[in-house]
Amino acid sequence: MHIMEGFLPATWAIVWWLVALPCLLLGLYRLRRLLSVDREALALLGVTGAFVFILSSLKLPSVTGSCSHPTGTGLSAICVGPWVTSVIAAVVLLFQALFLAHGGLSTMGANLVSMGIAGPFVGYLVYRALRETPVSIFLTVFLASALADLVTYVVTSLELALAYPAEVGGFFGSFTLFLGVFALTQVPLAIVEGVVLALVFKYIVQLKPEILVRLGVFSEERIVATQRGLADAA
Amino acid sequence: MFEELLEEIAQKNGLRGVSTSLKLATGLGALLLTLSATGYPGPLFIALALTGALLLLARIDPRTLVEVYAAPCSFAVMGVVVIVLVSGGSGGAWSWQPLPWLSLSITPEGINRGWMVLCRTLGGVASLLFVALTTPMTDLFVVMRSCRVPPALIELVMVVYRTIFILLDQLVRCYHAQVMRLGYSTRREAVRSFATLCGAVFIASWNAGEDQIRAREMRCYDGRLVPLGGTRPIEARPVLAVAGFLALGVVVTVLSGGMTLPGGAG
Repeated sequence: MHIMEGFLPATWAIVWWLVALPCLLLGLYRLRRLLSVDREALALLGVTGAFVFILSSLKLPSVTGSCSHPTGTGLSAICVGPWVTSVIAAVVLLFQALFLAHGGLSTMGANLVSMGIAGPFVGYLVYRALRETPVSIFLTVFLASALADLVTYVVTSLELALAYPAEVGGFFGSFTLFLGVFALTQVPLAIVEGVVLALVFKYIVQLKPEILVRLGVFSEERIVATQRGLADAA
Repeated sequence: MFEELLEEIAQKNGLRGVSTSLKLATGLGALLLTLSATGYPGPLFIALALTGALLLLARIDPRTLVEVYAAPCSFAVMGVVVIVLVSGGSGGAWSWQPLPWLSLSITPEGINRGWMVLCRTLGGVASLLFVALTTPMTDLFVVMRSCRVPPALIELVMVVYRTIFILLDQLVRCYHAQVMRLGYSTRREAVRSFATLCGAVFIASWNAGEDQIRAREMRCYDGRLVPLGGTRPIEARPVLAVAGFLALGVVVTVLSGGMTLPGGAG
């Protein structure tokens, strides 16, 4: 669920753009540095961007009648890091606005903060915390993706509550209601996204593990051990 | 799934030959007017005028336009319902306090606030759709370069743009093959099929990306992609029409500043 064009008052649209811009600029700096040492990374970024675009364009009705969708940014944060993911998310949000009328240009700052910065950072922190532990690769991907998705929706509710505080109860009253309508209904979808992306990882580990090794997502030894485990289970 | 993107409609719309800068000025100017409006008639005027332009000048199919408006409107309605309920005010017809820190009510002020947000969203979405449905992304690449957007960002935008179509093609073919084999017959099967679909498409797109790199290197790629297409001339009649529309928008927005629905204090 992206915040639609015109939904936020101009002041809040500007505030969220100002919050997003420094992260976006740092992401651009990292992107330039990455491309200067590895031109082939461009194709990977293209695939990741297009993949996030497709996943986050699948609008699914949620329980309250609001519209939800997977975000896919957890996977991107694991593969290329959270800073470059913020640039990828900006490109994806621009395409979604212009290809699908999903989101908007004035609200892009707010959507970028929720989907391109807050969600991926939480996902990345979970991934970094679990990467070197004995926790399974698939559980790590599941938790990182599901939490990245859920945090995106919590931050969206926060943005809406700040823009439209309740007369009684102020920000917290409004936040409770927005959270109920837009974020709580996302919990099942976040779990489904975590399961789907963990299965995607399983598929990649089985068929093209060199992608994960090249990106340095997991060490070669861990991937080989996981492949062995999958073969034994089969 | 994604059989038709707005991009495909934009490629054959009636305003395809009009200058990209002029279309962007129309959309962005209308968006600024919408966001700065303090009364509902301004955004409503923008929404109606731009929808009319899309139907009559860009010759967009009315049914397609209704479908395109449906998604943003469903979000706007859900959000507006919450805004109406939490806005409070006096003379309410209904109120309820489900939690100690949360009070819900329906009052004229709340309805007015919700109506204003709904009109602003409609005006904003119409401005966005005017750009999306009349300006293909390929035209925007040229404008981005002339606006000195960082080359690394333009390059990423162009690569993602191309990869989306490779991925969509793979996705639609795999999805139809799965549906024919009853891959989505049960909930459990659907999750498994969807994950397989995403994994297969990711790997296929990766391979396509690597092929693309090899093809580029064979053509002496030096790290700069050149967007094709030149700038279109700006003609007098469209300029006058856009200036007239924006001037009228300013007049309506200024004159209707602070206006609310009858019976509400706003």
